[in-house]
Amino acid sequence: MRKVLAVIRREFVERVRQRWFWAMAVLGPVFFGALVILPGMLIGKTTVKRIAVMDGTTSTFGARLTERLDAESLFIAVRVAARPGTIDSVLVDSLRNAVDRKELDGFLIVSDVAVDSGKVMYRASNVSSPVTIGSLEHIISEMVNATRLEREGVNPALVAKARIPVNLDSKKVSGGKETGESAGQSFALAYFMGIILYMSILLYGINVMSSVLEEKTTKIVEVLVSSLRPFQLLLGKVLGVGAVSIFQFLIWGVSTRLILSQRRHLPGGGVNDGGFFQMPHVTTNTAVVFGLYFLGGFLLYSAMFSAVGAMSSNEQEARQAQQPVVMLLVASFISMFAMLNDPASTLSVTLSMIPFSAPIAMPVRWAAGNLPIGEIALSLGILAVSILGVTWVASRIYRVGILMTGKRPNLKELVRWVRAA
Amino acid sequence: MPPPIVAVDHITKRFSGHTAVDALSLSVPPGVIYGLLGPNGAGKSTSIRMILNIYAPDSGTVRLFGETGTGRDHSARIGYLPEERGLYPKMRVLDVLLFLAELKGVDRRTARTRSLEWLERMGLSDWRMRKVNELSKGMQQKVQFISTILHEPDLLVMDEAFSGLDPVNSQVLKDTILDLRSRGKTILFSTHIMEQAEKVCDYVCIIARGKKLVDGTLADIKRTHGGKHLLVNFDGARGDADRIFADRRLVAKADASGQFAELELAAQADAQEILKALVTSGARLSRFELAEPSLNKIFVDLVGPDAATAAARPDAEVAHA
Repeated sequence: MRKVLAVIRREFVERVRQRWFWAMAVLGPVFFGALVILPGMLIGKTTVKRIAVMDGTTSTFGARLTERLDAESLFIAVRVAARPGTIDSVLVDSLRNAVDRKELDGFLIVSDVAVDSGKVMYRASNVSSPVTIGSLEHIISEMVNATRLEREGVNPALVAKARIPVNLDSKKVSGGKETGESAGQSFALAYFMGIILYMSILLYGINVMSSVLEEKTTKIVEVLVSSLRPFQLLLGKVLGVGAVSIFQFLIWGVSTRLILSQRRHLPGGGVNDGGFFQMPHVTTNTAVVFGLYFLGGFLLYSAMFSAVGAMSSNEQEARQAQQPVVMLLVASFISMFAMLNDPASTLSVTLSMIPFSAPIAMPVRWAAGNLPIGEIALSLGILAVSILGVTWVASRIYRVGILMTGKRPNLKELVRWVRAA
Repeated sequence: MPPPIVAVDHITKRFSGHTAVDALSLSVPPGVIYGLLGPNGAGKSTSIRMILNIYAPDSGTVRLFGETGTGRDHSARIGYLPEERGLYPKMRVLDVLLFLAELKGVDRRTARTRSLEWLERMGLSDWRMRKVNELSKGMQQKVQFISTILHEPDLLVMDEAFSGLDPVNSQVLKDTILDLRSRGKTILFSTHIMEQAEKVCDYVCIIARGKKLVDGTLADIKRTHGGKHLLVNFDGARGDADRIFADRRLVAKADASGQFAELELAAQADAQEILKALVTSGARLSRFELAEPSLNKIFVDLVGPDAATAAARPDAEVAHA
C-alpha cells in the first residue's frame, strides 16, 4: 500500500507542479464564463436596421406598419409609396442599389395581398440574424392579425387587449416541491454538466494514457514493475490523476463561487439576468450525482486509456489507438443534445443505462428533469460492474503491454494477452 | 555452506515460437561478483527478467536468498539496473531518487539523506534540483545507478552493466561494485564485453542461444577451457626453435614471429620438455611463461563465430506473464 501511495503522490505532485495545471485552473472558469456570456452578448448585440417599406397597398396598412416598425428600437423605417397592384421593378432596383450602397439594410414589399395571404417580401443584405427576422415576423403578423380582425368588425380596443402576450413562468418540480429553478436554468445546468463531464473525462483519461506511455517510452517501467505489481502501479496512477482532477474541480468550484459573488461589480455582469442562459442553482444532490458519475466515467475511461497507452510504443501510435475510446466518449457527448430535448425518451433512458454513455447521459438527465432514484441506482450499479470488468481486461493488457516493444498488437494478440494466465 | 543468493533451476521462456531461454540453471553464491556472459540475443536480459519476476518463466523455478517468494516480494533487497536505462525526464533528480527509493520501502527522510550523500560522492550535488533531461547522458547513468543502490540491496542485478559508459564512469562503476562486494553484497551482471568481466568477476556463466555453455569460478573455467598457453621471448639466438615448434607432440598451435612466440601446448605435453629442448638447441631466452588464456578467447572458442552473431531478437517480445 505504501508503494501505491508513493505512485499516487508522484502523479499528483508532478502534475500539480506543471504549468498547464494552473493554466487550466485559471482558464477553466474564464472559458466557461465565456461560454455563458458570449452567445448572449453576440446575439444581443444587434445594430439598428434601416429598412424601407415599399408600400403598394390601397389601405393604410403600409403606413401603419412603417409607423409601428419605426417605433421599435431595433428599426428605423421609411415608407416608400408604390403603385398598387403591380410590383414596380424600377423602384425595386433602386432599393436594391440602396442596399448595395449600404444606405439601407433591407426593404419590405407590402401589397394588398399581405393581409389576406400573409405574404410579405423582405430583401436585405443579411437575412441570418434571428433577432431581426424574428422581430419582423412578429410585428408583421401582429399587424396582419389586427387588420384582419378589424376588417371583420372587431373593436380595435378589444384587439389591443387580446394582444397582451403570455409570459410562461416555468419552474422545475423536484421531490413534490417547486425548486425555484426555471426551464432555462435546468437547461443551462444540464448543458454545463455535460460539457464539463465530457471535457474532464477526456482530459484526465488522456492524462493517464500519456503517463503510462511516458513510463513505457522512457523504459523506467521495467524498474517500476520489478518493485511493485503492474496492477499496483496502474492503481496508483489512476488514483493520482483522479486526485489531480478533484483538486482541479475544487479550484474551479471555489473560484466560480468567488466570481459569482462579485458578479454585480463586474462589467457586463447584468447580461446573464433574464438572458438565454441563467446561472443554475446547484444543490447538494446535484453535486453528488455529478461527482459519482464523474468518478465512474473517469475510472471507466482511464482504464481504457491506460490499455491504449500500454499497447502503443510512441505518441503517434497512441493517438491512433485512442480513437475508438475517444469516439465512444464523443458519441456520448453528442447524444447529450438529443437528450436535452427529451430527457424521458427511450433513447435517453437507454443511453443513461449503457455504462459508456451513462457518465454523461445520467447527470444531464438529472439536471434537465426529475429522475426516479431507482433508475439512478440501476445505472450506477451497471456502471460499477462495468468498471470492474473493463479494469480487469485493461489491467491484463497493461501488464503485458508495458513490457512489450515493437509493433502494435492486433485484436487477436490482445485477446491472447487478456487470456494469458 | 550458505544457500545461494540466486538459485535458478531449469528456467525456460518462449516468445511466440522462439525459445529465448532454454532450461537454464545457475547458482550465485553470496558475496561474489557473478557475470552472465553471452553474445547479443543469447537470452541474458530475459534470464535476468525472469530472476526478478518481471517475466514469469514458462517452466522452471527461481529461488532467491534461499527463501520462497518472487523477485518482486524480495524487491526491497534487490537493486536492478535494466539494460534500457531510463528515468522520468521531467522530474527533478532528487525527486526521482526519492520516488524510486520509496518504491523499495525506504522512508523519505532516510532516502533523502542517502540520496544527498551519493549525489555528493558522484559529483552531482549541484544538479539535485535540476530536471533529469537537463543532465548529460553520463550524469543520467550515474543517477540511475544511485537509484539502484539507495535501499542498500543485498543483491545488485545489472543488465549490460557497462554499456554506454565512458572510461571514467566505467571505472567509477567498477570501484563501486568492488566496494559493495567487500561489504558482503552480491552482484549479478550481464555483459558481452569480456575484458570487463575478466577484471571483476569471481564467477561466470556463459550462455548462447538461450543455453548454458559453461559456468563456475573464473579460475576453474580458465583451467579447464582453452588449454595451456606458453609465451616465449628470445634473446638473440633462436636455436632450433622452428623444428621444436613444429613438433605436434609438444605444440598444438604456434604463432611465432622473430623474437616472440605464443604457443598452445599439445594435450599431453609438458612445458618443461619444450624449455629443455630449446635450451639444448642453443636458444637464448629472455622470457618463458605459462599463461592463462583470456576470457575472450575462451568465449569465442565456446560460442563460435556462428553463435556470436546470434539470432536477432524477435520483433515483438510477447510475454506470457
